[in-house]
Amino acid sequence: MVAVRSDTDQPDARAAFFAAAPVGTAAGAPAVDLSVRIGNLTLHTPVMPASGCFGPELGALIPVGELGATVTKTVFGSARGGNPVHRLTEIPAGMVNSVGIPSRGPAGYLDELHPRYAALTVPTIISVGGHRVSEYAPVVAALGEHGAAYELNVSCPNLDRDGTDIGSDPAAIRAVVAAVRLVTDRPIIVKLPVLVASIADCALAAEEAGADGVCVANSIPAMPLAALTRRPILGNVIGGLSGPAIKPIVLRLVWLASRAVQIPVIACGGVESVEDALDYFSVGASAVQVGTASFARPFAAVEVARGLRERCLIAGLGSIRELLELEAAL
Amino acid sequence: MSIDTLDERRTADAARRAAAAQARVCAEADAAALDGLISVRPRQAGPRPQPVWDDAEVLVHEPVGERYRRLVLASSTIAHTAQAGQFVMLTVPPSGGDRILLPRPMAIHRRRAAIAGTPERPGTPGTIELIYGIVGRGTRALAAVAVGATLQVTGPLGRGFEFAAGAASALLIGRGVGICGVMGAAEDAAALGIRTTMVLSGQRPEQLLGRADCAELGVRVLEATDRDGSSALTTLAARLRDHFDASTPERTPPDVVMVCGAGVLARLAAELGAFWGVPVQASLEAHMACGLGYCHGCAAPVRTDASVEGPLVCADGPVFDARIPIV
Repeated sequence: MVAVRSDTDQPDARAAFFAAAPVGTAAGAPAVDLSVRIGNLTLHTPVMPASGCFGPELGALIPVGELGATVTKTVFGSARGGNPVHRLTEIPAGMVNSVGIPSRGPAGYLDELHPRYAALTVPTIISVGGHRVSEYAPVVAALGEHGAAYELNVSCPNLDRDGTDIGSDPAAIRAVVAAVRLVTDRPIIVKLPVLVASIADCALAAEEAGADGVCVANSIPAMPLAALTRRPILGNVIGGLSGPAIKPIVLRLVWLASRAVQIPVIACGGVESVEDALDYFSVGASAVQVGTASFARPFAAVEVARGLRERCLIAGLGSIRELLELEAAL
Repeated sequence: MSIDTLDERRTADAARRAAAAQARVCAEADAAALDGLISVRPRQAGPRPQPVWDDAEVLVHEPVGERYRRLVLASSTIAHTAQAGQFVMLTVPPSGGDRILLPRPMAIHRRRAAIAGTPERPGTPGTIELIYGIVGRGTRALAAVAVGATLQVTGPLGRGFEFAAGAASALLIGRGVGICGVMGAAEDAAALGIRTTMVLSGQRPEQLLGRADCAELGVRVLEATDRDGSSALTTLAARLRDHFDASTPERTPPDVVMVCGAGVLARLAAELGAFWGVPVQASLEAHMACGLGYCHGCAAPVRTDASVEGPLVCADGPVFDARIPIV
C-alpha cells in the first residue's frame, strides 16, 4: 500500500489525550495539592507506575509529566537474561508473569536506559534487586546520584538463607536497608512481598533501619496450568500474580502496614482506576503504583492522577485527605 | 445416567484427550523446528513508525470463512504509518461480566489509506483490518463487540517484513490466521511490482483466509490443506520446488521467502531458502503484555548465555531471519 496522507486524516486519540489540559489548570480553579513527600523527595502527584510495568517507550504514548515519578525495572548487580518462554499468561482478573527480570547490571542500565528515563522530566525511582543481603548496597552505590529515590525489591529469594524471600525476614530487611543507607542520601523505599508472617514487622524493620517509605506489595507466587494439557503454562512453572484479583489481599496489607509505621506507604496491587486509588488512600496509603492495568490502557496511571485532581475539584476540596474526611463523615 | 449419555460423554472425553495430545505434539514440533533457526534481522534501512494508541471505530465486524472473524477499524494514523508485517495490541472491552485484562497482539492483515472527500461524497478514514479466530476468553469477548463501537488499539508495533531493493519475485507462506501476518508483504509486493506467489495453508478449504485479498493484489495462490494432505511438509516442499523449477511458468526461484503461521513452516521455508540460496524472513507469535518492549514478556526462541537476555518478539521481531543452523 502506498501511504498517502489526506485531508480526512483524524488525529489519533493519543494526540487528544496529550492535548487535554489537566483539570485544575484553568484560571480561577481552586488550588488542589496532591503532592506527597517521600523522604526528601516531593512528588507533585501520588501516582507512579509499578516497577516492570513501565518503560521509556511510553514517553511518546502518554504525558509522563503528569505522573509523580517513573519507576524502573529492577536493576541487579550482575547481568541476567530472564526466564524461558512462556513468560506470562492471563487468568480471570489477573496476570501471572515469570519474566525473571532481565537486567544488564548498573553499568548497562546507566548506559542504555537511564538517559531515556532522565529525559522524561519526572523523578526516576530506580528499582534495585539482589539475591543476597550484601548485593543491594553496591548497586545503589554504582547508580549514585542517578536515582531520585531507590526502591529496594526485596521479593527475591535470599541465597544466604535457602531461598526464603529477603523481604519476608525482618532481620534481612533491616540489614539491606542499613547497608543501603550508608551509601545514599536519596530516599529509600522498600518494596515488600505479599507472603510474609507479619507485614507490620517487615514495614517496621524497614522504617527502623532508615527507609523513607515502604511499597506494599508485590505480585503473589502462583502456578497457572494450561486448560487442555494441564501442564504448567509458564516456562518457569511459577510466576507472580498481579492485577485486580490481588487488590483485596493488598488492601489488607496496606491497612496493616500503615498502622505500623509513620513513613509513607505506597500501595501497589490491582490499581486500575481513581476509585481503586481512593480505596488504598482510605486505608492509609500515601501514594499508589499502577502496574498491570497499563498494559491494556497505557494511559491508566495518568487517568488515575487526573481523576484524583478532578475528584478534589468537584468536591471543592484541596487535598485527598480532605476528600476522605468528607467521605468518612457521611 | 443413561448408557447413551455415558457413551457420549466418553466420546467427548476421548476427543478432549486427543485434542490435548495434538496441542502438545504441535507445540513440541514448533519448538523443535524453531530451535537455532531464527536470528534478529539487520538494522532496518528506514525509520520505524512511532506507535500511537487510538480509540478506533469498528467499521466492519463479521465472520470470514467458517472459523474466523474480520475487524475493520478506523485509525488513519496507524493505517498510514504501519509497515508490512507489523502488529497492533488490541484492548478487549468487558463482555457479559468477563473482563479481559491484557491486550491481544494481532497482525495487521490489510492497510487502506484514507480517501479524501469531495463535494459529492464524504471522505473515509484510513483503516486497518484484523482477522482472528475465537480461541479463548479474550477472543470470545472480542467477538461480542458491535459495529460502531470503539476499540482501543496501540500500534503499529514491531519489526516487519522488508523487501530488498531489486527484488522481483517473492514466495509468501501463511498458515491459519498466520496468513494475516504475511498479507502486508503481499500489499507491499503489489505496490512495488514484485511477482508474488502465496501459499494459503489451513486445516480445511472452507477455513482458508486471504483468497479475495490475493485476487485483489494479483497474487498467485497455492492452497494447501490438511484435508487433502497437501499441507504435509514434505508434500508442500516438493510442490514448491516444482513450482519454482526452471520448467514452470515461474522459471526461477523467488528472491525472498516470507512465512508466518507455524514453527514447522518457518523451518520448511528456511530449507527452501537454503535450497534456492535466497533469504527467508519468518514472523513469530508470542504471549505478550505490552507490545512495546518494556514488559519483557515475549522472549523469542533464541538460545543465549544465562546472563544475556535474548531478543523479544515484540520489539526485535515479530519478523526474524530464518536460517537452517550449520551443524
